[in-house]
Amino acid sequence: MDVLLRPVFSVLAPPDLKLKRPGWVTTPSPYTIFFFVLVSYFLVTGGIIYDVIVEPPSVGSTTDENGHTRPVAFMPYRVNGQYIMEGLASSFMFTLGGAGFIILDQTHNPTTPKLNRIMLQFVGFGALIISFGCCWIFMRMKLPGYLH
Amino acid sequence: HSVGAGLCAAGMIAIVPGYISRSVAGSYDNEGIAIFCMLFTYYLWIKSVKTGNIYWSALCAVAYFYMVSSWGGYVFLINMIPLHVLVLMICGRFSHRVYVAYCTVYTLGTLLSMQISFVGFQPVQTSEHMLALGVFGLCQIYAFVEYLRANMTPEYFNILFKSLVIIISSIIAVGLGVLTLSGKVAPWTGRFYSLLDPSYAKNNIPIIASVSEHQPTSWSSFYFDLQILTFLFPAGLYYCFSKLTDHNIFIILYGVFAVYFAGVMVRLMLVLAPVMCILSGIAVSSSLSTYMKYLDGSGSQTKAASKQGKGRQDTNSTQQREGTAYLFVVLMTFFLVTYTTHCIWVTSEAYSSPSIVLSARSHDGGRIIFDDFREAYWWLRENTPEDAKVMSWWDYGYQITAMANRTVIVDNNTWNNTHISRVGQAMASTEDKAYEIMRELDVDYVLVIFGGLTGYSSDDINKFLWMVRIGGSTPEGEHIKEKDYYTPSGEFRVDGEGSSTLLNCLMYKMCYYRFGQVYTETGKPPGYDRVRNVVIGNKDFELDVLEEAYTSEHWIVRIYKVKDLPNRGTR
Repeated sequence: MDVLLRPVFSVLAPPDLKLKRPGWVTTPSPYTIFFFVLVSYFLVTGGIIYDVIVEPPSVGSTTDENGHTRPVAFMPYRVNGQYIMEGLASSFMFTLGGAGFIILDQTHNPTTPKLNRIMLQFVGFGALIISFGCCWIFMRMKLPGYLH
Repeated sequence: HSVGAGLCAAGMIAIVPGYISRSVAGSYDNEGIAIFCMLFTYYLWIKSVKTGNIYWSALCAVAYFYMVSSWGGYVFLINMIPLHVLVLMICGRFSHRVYVAYCTVYTLGTLLSMQISFVGFQPVQTSEHMLALGVFGLCQIYAFVEYLRANMTPEYFNILFKSLVIIISSIIAVGLGVLTLSGKVAPWTGRFYSLLDPSYAKNNIPIIASVSEHQPTSWSSFYFDLQILTFLFPAGLYYCFSKLTDHNIFIILYGVFAVYFAGVMVRLMLVLAPVMCILSGIAVSSSLSTYMKYLDGSGSQTKAASKQGKGRQDTNSTQQREGTAYLFVVLMTFFLVTYTTHCIWVTSEAYSSPSIVLSARSHDGGRIIFDDFREAYWWLRENTPEDAKVMSWWDYGYQITAMANRTVIVDNNTWNNTHISRVGQAMASTEDKAYEIMRELDVDYVLVIFGGLTGYSSDDINKFLWMVRIGGSTPEGEHIKEKDYYTPSGEFRVDGEGSSTLLNCLMYKMCYYRFGQVYTETGKPPGYDRVRNVVIGNKDFELDVLEEAYTSEHWIVRIYKVKDLPNRGTR
């Protein structure tokens, strides 16, 4: 193989390339990746793909008895339709619930000072309860017959 | 992960609505089996990665064969496994176990899958399988490089490595380019390409875009099918990220991609449901086990602490820990109980009713059953000649074939787009043009579904725009343009403001024939459509080429007979 290539290289001179991987390209830590995954979860469960294709309005509108237009937050009676804001609000609730669990997991470290621990637990439980309650209420607003 | 997590996940999968929606009688599709096969294949894959045994890898290939024979979604599997191997390589966790596992699985699995006649030679020809092939090649190269690295001196190795990388990557790039351009390697087919680029189907292939299960997902579909799993999913991901192992990486990858694909297509919520359950099971069991430790060990801890004389401070903190642990356990139990109630409610309300017997509640709370579908199909069966051909929209094809026992023009197996487009053109044209198409297709009866009397909203007028889009998507239908059917201001209306093309097309006439004399709601003029909530625009007309054969009790199914050619040539 060498013998075949030698005459070629006596005519051609290979360029002196100094290719080096740039120093700032490193494999990121797991938690950075987890953060990005969480952001993508937030966007996808908020129905961003639905928004791109169907292009619903940001909030709906109805006219009431006096003729004023009032905004409607949740598209009623349809499980497979949404407005943009309601999608983002609900996916925020989902992520908040997940974050609640994560925060509660951080409180097990025995070296954290007591006040921090209490606050973290408070925030964690609060996040869980708020997100669960809000999602339940959202679903009721969407489907009036929910859990009937 | 652990036995507790597995048990928890199993309990959740048993009742998750996302999975049940495909396995109840009436909505059962081959995906019900396919999910089991998929999970079985994944389980065996993880086992083979852990042990590096050829035995487990071979079993995994057999399970993969089972999966290929049950559902077209095996493409997801054959891309997820190579992706996992690729990510392991990038993270630097590639070991000889993974090498053995992947090589065995890929070779045996591909050979087995090619035995299925539907798949044939696709694994080496289509782009959907190229990733698996590429990673296979990459595995060999990587393993070879590692072997060389172990046996050569460093500088010599570096030169060889760099030159090899450049040569091989250029060969691959040129080769792939040549193959794709010359058409030997087919580009991604429509159904799968629309997963990567969601707007592709909407713009180019209306028939794929029109299937309601292929619509993108909204948040409420996620919550409806999965409830608390949506909260536990990020928590489970977090627990996996804290302890990164080879198999955890696989679950993370599966979860992330499943969420994305379920967001693109509602039907793929089914694929997401198992992995949600698995990750939630991990989350629940990990968090509960951490908290239960406080409840178990607190008794002995207080004794030890008081013996050492640390006194009040320690007992306070352990009591506090007990308190929070109790609170957490109670909260978790509450969540799980609401999960079960939700699942039971959803399954009974949304996924248990047969789709052709409709029911509604009247004002006094009693139930009215609309059995129109079966009534009309039975009429077709008893009162039409045996070889009559029925034209309807493709949604009802299987129902008509099974219950009325008559030939249909198009049915749910929607692989012939041109044919369906022809039917769409017939529905969307005026009576004369449609008559030509109906003679060409040799149609005897036409069937439409109309919900205006009862308020049934999945009727053919609501699906009509899809018929227009699909009809206009082939060369014969170029005269059918969607905007002709809208009002000048761009709305789809069936009242007096509606466009004249819409008010004179065949579908409109078939649905609203004689409807102009019917009183549907108190206080409204006759001809009030209860689904669109308007009075129809074109009320008193006669049909030229059709005659009404049968209308079911609540006007849901309407059947028309196609009149023969007139004897004397002019009408």
